[in-house]
Parts: sequence; structure tokens; C-alpha cells
Amino acid sequence: MRVLKRSGLMFWSMAPLLVGIMGLVGLLETLVTPEMLATLFRGRPVADTLVGTLAGAAATGNPVVSYLLGGELLQQGISLYAVTAFILSWVTLGVIQLPMEAEMFGARFMVLRNLLALGGTVLIAVLTGLTMQVLS
Amino acid sequence: MKAGEEQPFAFRGRLFLLLVVLAYVVLAWHDAPVALVALRRGGLLLLRLLPVFAVVICLIAVVNYFLRPARIVRWLGRESGLRGWLLALLAGVISHGPMYAWYPMVQDLRRHGGRDGLVVVFLFARCIKVPLLPVMVDTLGLRFTLVLSLYILAGSLLQGWLMERLQRRAGG
Repeated sequence: MRVLKRSGLMFWSMAPLLVGIMGLVGLLETLVTPEMLATLFRGRPVADTLVGTLAGAAATGNPVVSYLLGGELLQQGISLYAVTAFILSWVTLGVIQLPMEAEMFGARFMVLRNLLALGGTVLIAVLTGLTMQVLS
Repeated sequence: MKAGEEQPFAFRGRLFLLLVVLAYVVLAWHDAPVALVALRRGGLLLLRLLPVFAVVICLIAVVNYFLRPARIVRWLGRESGLRGWLLALLAGVISHGPMYAWYPMVQDLRRHGGRDGLVVVFLFARCIKVPLLPVMVDTLGLRFTLVLSLYILAGSLLQGWLMERLQRRAGG
């Protein structure tokens, strides 16, 4: 019971961070709609892959939205590279959670992890696109 | 702070919360209905995440009760080997909810001696959302889902390994 209380207290000390993040998510979900994100893609594979990475990093919400939007984008002719980057960065890169990540793990860890995730996202997007081309 | 040492209680991120509140005040000043919609969405998200938070609190308690720092170091520390990488990968794949909900538990493990490389593996492996895989298969195809999932697993391990190399080079 004492351990549970200590864990609860530890979590409670993060309450301002968590409430702040959820407030930001509410703001972003309201001000940046999936339709607005879809208009960012222009049909150029390389540029769209970068746009997909950045748009996914800026977006918030349930990952299901990124899958559905990704399916729509593919039907509109947007490259698989861009859609894959968008889906990956939606989950792994989050601009709004950067302050919390820096506060909890330190700025250095936050920068390194996000740079690695950014590189990993682009690399996996390219490899997935190429593999799908080979397989089809 | 040394591994395993207790931290005194203090709220964290008060300035951040203040800035978010300020953003809401500015938005409400310009467009009150939109600010209310945003506030409602944030509130609903908080309600939806309460069960996830409860799970995380219980997991932190379990970790603190059953896993002594020495065992955490053995399982997730420098000498954890293949078992540590696989544990981090599996935990990332099966963990549910947004990434930030897991930060307190990850921080706790790090404080008790968990490796940064394994944290990176855990956080990137969360790209695979087991409950949502049927939706991905339906919208993007089974072949795409399989290929992407395999690359995510490999990419997670690669990033974790790179993090360890970077930390070692920096003497961290």
C-alpha cells in the first residue's frame, strides 16, 4: 500500500505536465484538422516524405486517424514514402510532448532521441516504399 | 541524483501549464466557442486516459515493490544483454495509450539504472499498435502492415544501439 501511495504521489507530481499536454492536444486537434494536413501534400515523393514526417510530428490524436488519412492520401496519389513517414511520425515524434520529455529525461536525451526517431522514420519510410515496390 | 534515490515531492511543469492556460485565454479572447471546443476535447482526452494512468501507476508500484534496483539493472541495465533488448521491444509493442502517459514509468526505470538505449527501443516500438493492426490492414493492406511492422522492430533496435554508441562516445 505504501509503494502504491508513493507511485501515485510520483505520478501526481507530473499532473501539471500531463494536464498541460492534454490541453495542448485539445487546442491542436481543434485548430489543425486532418483535412488541413492533407492539403500540405503536393505529389512530389521526396518533398512529401519530409512534409509527411513534419505533419505527423505536429499532429495529435488517435493513430487510427493517421491510418485512415494515410489510406485517403494513397488514393489521392500521394507516395507510399510520404504516407509511411506520416503514420510513423504521428506516433513516435510529438512536438507537443517535447517540453515534457525534456523536463523528465533531460534536454540532451530529448534531442538525441527525437533526432534518432526522425532519422529512423525517414529511413523506414524509404525502405518500406522500396520493399513494397519490389514485392508488387 | 543517484540511481534509486528518492526525490522530494514537487509539482513539475507548472510554467508549462501556465503557458497552456495563457494560450487558452488568448484563444478565448479571440474566439470563445473554439476555445470551449478545445477545452472540451482536452477534458475528454483526460477522462479517456484515466484508466491508462491507473495502469501506469500500478505498474510503477509493481516495479518498485518487486523489482529491486539490482534486479532492474540486471534486466534492463548495462549487463542486460539480449534479454534487455527483447524486453524493451515487447513492452513497447504491447503498451497502450499515448507516449507521454508512459514517461513517469520510464523515468522511474531510468532512475533505478535502466539503459537509455532500451528506453529508445521502447518508445519507438510503440509505433506498432497491436489493437489497431486490423484497422491498418483494412486501410493500407496486409503486406504493407507486415513490412512496416518488421522495419519498425528493426529500426527500434538500431536506434537503441545508436543511442548507446552516442552516449558512450559522449561519456554519458
